[in-house]
Amino acid sequence: MGVVVKKVELGWLDRTYVWPVLKGMGITFNHFIKQLFTPTSKRYTIQYPDMKKEMPTGYRGLHELKRFEDGAIKCVACFMCAEACPARCISIEAEEFSDLNFTQGFEEKRPKVFKIDMLRCIYCGMCEEACPKDAIWLRNDYEVAAYDRLSMQFGKWDLMNTYAEADGKARISEDPTPSVPRRVLAM
Amino acid sequence: MFLVFALITLLGALGMLLQRNIIVAGLCMVAAFFGVAGLFVLLANPVAAALQIIVYTGAILVLVLFVIMMLNSHEEEPAETPHPIQRWLSVALSLALGVGAVKLVLASRGVQQLAVQGAALPRGTTLEGVGAVLFAGHLLGFEVAGLMLLAAMVGAVALTKRNL
Amino acid sequence: MDTLASLLHTSPALAWMVVKVVIVFSAVMLLASVWTWVERRGSAMIQDRIGPNRAALFGRIRIIGLAQLLADGIKFFFKEDLEPHDVNKRLFWLAPFLAFVPAMLGFAVIPFGRDFVSGGHVYHLSVLDPGNGMGMLYPMAIGGLAVYGVLVAAWSSNNKWAILGGMRASAAMVSYEIGMSLAVVSIFMTTGGYDPAQIIAAQGSQPWHWNVVPQFLGFIVFFTCVFAETNRLPFDFAEGESEIVAGFNTEYGSMKFSLLALAEYAHMMTASALVVTLFFGGWQVPFVAHPGVMLSVLSFLVKLLFFAWVFVWIRWTLPRFRYDQMMHLGWKAMLPLSMVNLVVHAWLMSHGR
Repeated sequence: MGVVVKKVELGWLDRTYVWPVLKGMGITFNHFIKQLFTPTSKRYTIQYPDMKKEMPTGYRGLHELKRFEDGAIKCVACFMCAEACPARCISIEAEEFSDLNFTQGFEEKRPKVFKIDMLRCIYCGMCEEACPKDAIWLRNDYEVAAYDRLSMQFGKWDLMNTYAEADGKARISEDPTPSVPRRVLAM
Repeated sequence: MFLVFALITLLGALGMLLQRNIIVAGLCMVAAFFGVAGLFVLLANPVAAALQIIVYTGAILVLVLFVIMMLNSHEEEPAETPHPIQRWLSVALSLALGVGAVKLVLASRGVQQLAVQGAALPRGTTLEGVGAVLFAGHLLGFEVAGLMLLAAMVGAVALTKRNL
Repeated sequence: MDTLASLLHTSPALAWMVVKVVIVFSAVMLLASVWTWVERRGSAMIQDRIGPNRAALFGRIRIIGLAQLLADGIKFFFKEDLEPHDVNKRLFWLAPFLAFVPAMLGFAVIPFGRDFVSGGHVYHLSVLDPGNGMGMLYPMAIGGLAVYGVLVAAWSSNNKWAILGGMRASAAMVSYEIGMSLAVVSIFMTTGGYDPAQIIAAQGSQPWHWNVVPQFLGFIVFFTCVFAETNRLPFDFAEGESEIVAGFNTEYGSMKFSLLALAEYAHMMTASALVVTLFFGGWQVPFVAHPGVMLSVLSFLVKLLFFAWVFVWIRWTLPRFRYDQMMHLGWKAMLPLSMVNLVVHAWLMSHGR
């Protein structure tokens, strides 16, 4: 589709070319001075290793496997996330466990192995959507990098501890034996 | 100092004649012009040296090289039928010219004055001096040269721009 | 100076000459290399960016990124010296020097400070003493030689883009030289001399007597032409990322490229020194009739750096001209304007101002 472009008629001052150049130089000089006297923290550029960007809420960064207050994993190994994952990066092995004190032989399910291949993950957040227990969250950490491929395979304990420092929680490396039945807690 | 500049000039000229690559030959010519400019300085005529560099190396040779590069002929084409007579004729002619030039220089007044002990050294020529000579002593020649250049310019424009 | 000369068993004149050469060339080199950083930092600031600020000495002393110069130098020095296939080897090697040497040489006649008398000798603060007979013709002559660096670099690299860039750059330089020379000639005329020392002395210490004020037109023409001569941005036809890759230095790498780049900045320094000398009173300090030597040098340096900064400033303000626009401007605007300037001043002089 043709568009009629109006040709701008220049005045004699603009045709000399000197005055427009001076105007342009004024604009650039304004920017220069402004940028020169803006403190580093207020410039547009975020100088990455020294300064980090505040991620908005809802940002889909590194995963966390949530835990109960006593440190037990919330995940019930229902495989919904693994099914929902478009990149097929989650692999789960389930195990049964029983809390002999309270449930008296009532068997519960939890992941024995919960692995996310961070090299494959596309941070789409489908696992978070699919989870019936809100056990997996994608949160605001975006610095996921390592020197080798093996350390990008995040296991169950890695995933549970990803935000331990940020939230001020203790790092855990084994399932606790719950003292109170979890159904009671949930109610 | 004279020897250095003379060597630069001669080597440049020789290189220009012997180089097969035409661009390198042009650059050799630049070197020769530089040598000549240095000789001008030694002759207490820095204005001529500066003009030599401005006009010859700065403008004319640049244009020559420009055209050569535009036509992009890398190698010199061999002559179609070499005539031995041509070669001998050229050698004889250049010998005659060289001998004549040397005789002319040796017979000139300046050289004879140099032989006189205690003669005043020539004072440096300045731009004012050149201008005064051009516009006072040689005004007619200057104007004629200017007219010729103007005519040449008009001719060049008329030749290249068909539809004015 | 005398003690230094006696220590070195030379005459004071020779020792002073050597000192001057060392001072001038190291200063120009240093300024040129600093200006590569200023260009990058300044352009960043103009575009609301930050620019190179992370290079640090020993990984610690950052000095607002000035160590970038060292980092660049070291990097260029240790890069592999590639020589593409089918280049003309001798000319390919010669070209960076052909570009660099004229850029440095042009500075030689420019007085960067007042003369001073010490121990019965008059010391001139310019590499070639005034009264050498060359005067301002010398930088003009040397400036004309800068074409060869571009031309030879372009031709020897055996690359289409390089040759296109070299051709159009050399055409631009040759055609703008005429307007520039005419603008300078009108200054020769009003000064009544062509020696830089004379030109500076004639301008005096009052800023409204400097040549910019009576010859504003000449200043505009000269400054514009200087941009074309140094191949700086509104007219940098040697390069052109959007059209011909990097132009004449497409095939260059490592130290050879660094020399070509440095030559551009050295040329810029020389050009701004010329502008200062011709139009802004050289080392004259505004409103100070007889400044001290150091003050005059400082004044010259401040003016020089200001104009070098204007080069950077304009580069990041204006887009590149189209080739035909540039030729149009050069032949149909700059040349007539400088002729008008010349004729007007000749008329004014013949009618006793």
